[in-house]
Amino acid sequence: MSVISLKYKSKSGNLTAPGDVDPGAFIPIATTTLTTSTATISFTGIPQNYEHLQIRGILRSDRAGQPKDQLRMQLNSDTGSNYTTHLLSGDGTAAYAAANVGATFINNNSVTGATSTASMYGTVVMDILDYANTNKYTVVRFLSGYDTSGAGTVELDSGVWLNTAAVTSISIVTIGNMIQYSQLALYGIKRAGA
Amino acid sequence: MAYTYSKIASYTVGSGGVSNVDLLAIPQNYTDLVLKMSIRFDQAYEQANIDIRFNYDFGSNYSVRRLRGTGSAANSDSVSGTSITIGYGAGDTLTANTFGNAELYIPNYTGSNYKSVNGDAVTENNATAAWAVLQAGLWSNTAAINSISIICGGKWKQYSTFTLYGVKAEV
Amino acid sequence: MAAGATYTPLATTTLTSASATVTFSSISSAYTDLVLIYNGKFASANGQIALNFNGDTATNYSDNSLNADGSAVTAARDTTYGRIVQGYTASANVDNMTIINIMNYANTNMSKTVISRHNTAAGANVQLSSGAWRSTAAINSIAVSCYNGINFTAGSTFTLYGILAA
Repeated sequence: MSVISLKYKSKSGNLTAPGDVDPGAFIPIATTTLTTSTATISFTGIPQNYEHLQIRGILRSDRAGQPKDQLRMQLNSDTGSNYTTHLLSGDGTAAYAAANVGATFINNNSVTGATSTASMYGTVVMDILDYANTNKYTVVRFLSGYDTSGAGTVELDSGVWLNTAAVTSISIVTIGNMIQYSQLALYGIKRAGA
Repeated sequence: MAYTYSKIASYTVGSGGVSNVDLLAIPQNYTDLVLKMSIRFDQAYEQANIDIRFNYDFGSNYSVRRLRGTGSAANSDSVSGTSITIGYGAGDTLTANTFGNAELYIPNYTGSNYKSVNGDAVTENNATAAWAVLQAGLWSNTAAINSISIICGGKWKQYSTFTLYGVKAEV
Repeated sequence: MAAGATYTPLATTTLTSASATVTFSSISSAYTDLVLIYNGKFASANGQIALNFNGDTATNYSDNSLNADGSAVTAARDTTYGRIVQGYTASANVDNMTIINIMNYANTNMSKTVISRHNTAAGANVQLSSGAWRSTAAINSIAVSCYNGINFTAGSTFTLYGILAA
C-alpha cells in the first residue's frame, strides 16, 4: 500500500492551507480558430512541462452530402498504422460500441458536415493524460456530441497511439475540410509541485 | 479575477508497484475535487475494477450505476458495496505500455450531504476489446471527504499516476 | 497567482429553500467556454435538468442522450423543444449531479451546443447527453430549472465557471 499524506506533498512541505497554494493549474497554451476552410489544425512545439493536456473544440466540415464528419487525430506526425480507437455512442435511437484497430489515426464522429443544420458545430473535449511520459503509450479520452433536432450523437471514445514518445505535436483533420469558425483550444494541466 | 483549479498532489507508482494508493489529509478549502488517473495493474486480465473508498469507510455505503462499452457492445450494471467501482483499469493482458485514462469529479466534497461521484474511464488495447465506462457513484455518508483510497485487486503498476486537483467556487 | 491560468468561478448559488429555477444572468462574454456544475436533489420524483438561454422559451432547443439505468442502455432524443433536457432522476430527494459544458457560448457565428454528464447513482441513471440551442446569440443568461415544474431542494448548489482559451 502506498500512502500519500498531502501534508508532505505541497510545495512548502506543510499542510496546504488557504492561500498557500498556487491557484492556477489549468493553463491555456494555444488556440486555432479558422478564418477559412482548412484541411488540418495542428498544435506543434507542445511544451513538455505539464502533466496532462486537454483540447476543447467545436468543429464543422464541408464534407459534401453528409450530415456529419469524422475527426482524425495523429500525434508527432506519425502517419503509420499505429493507432486504435474504441467508441461508445448513442444517436438518439440506439447505443453502439465499436473499435477501429490498427488505423492510421484516432477517430471521433462528432463533427457536423455540409448537410447538417446550418450554424451547428459538433463539440469535443479531449483529455490526454501523461502526454510527456516516455514509459507509456498515449491514451486519449473523448467526450463529444452534437444535436440537430432529429439527428445527433453523443460519444465516450478512447484512442491509443502505440508509441512511448512524448507528444510534441497533435494534428487534427476531417474527411472534408474544417470550415470557418471551427476552433480547437489546447490547455495544459499542471502537475503538483510545478 | 479569482482563478481556481489548483493542483493538490500527484503520485507516480515506483518499481514493484503498489496495492493501493491512499491520498490523505485532503485540504478542505476547495469546493470540488478532480482526480485524474493514468493507470495499469498487474493482474492477468484485460480489465478489472477501479475501486474508490473515502475516509477509510469500509461499510456498505457505496453504490454505482454504470454504462459500459466493450468495443463491440454496450451494457449497463449497478453495484452496491464497500467501495465505488468507477470503471475499469487496464490489466496486464492488454497491449503493453497501455494505461487506462480515468477521471473522477466529486462536487461539494466537504458538504454535509451524501457525496455524488462522476467517473469517466477508458482502457485501450490494440484489439477490438477495450472498455469505456460512464459511472454514477454515491457515497452514502455526510462526512467531508478527507481521504481517497484507489484500489485494484492486484497492484498498480510502475508509472501509474494519480493527480488530485481542487476546484474552488469562490467568486 | 499562476500567470496565464484560467478556469474562473463566475457565480455560485446554494439554495436556502426549495426553488424551481436558478438563473445566472449578465454572463460576461469574455470567456470561451462555460462549465456549470450542479449538485443537489429534486423535491419530487421524475426530475430532469432543463436549460434555457437568454430567456428563450420557444421551441428552439433539442437534445439527444445515451442512458443507462443499471440494467439497460437506451438512447433518446427531444426535437423542437422548449428547453434542453439533461439527466433523469426517478426518485425524490436523491443526490444527483450534472456537469454541463457550454462550448463557445459567446460565439455569434454559430448555434450553441452543450455536452453534459448526469449521474444519479441510487435508483436512477447515468447519462451522457448533447443539447443545442438554435440561436447565434451570445449566451448572457442561463436558467436552470427542473423539468415538470419540480423544485430543487434546499442545499442544492449551482456553480458557473468560465474557461478562456489562449
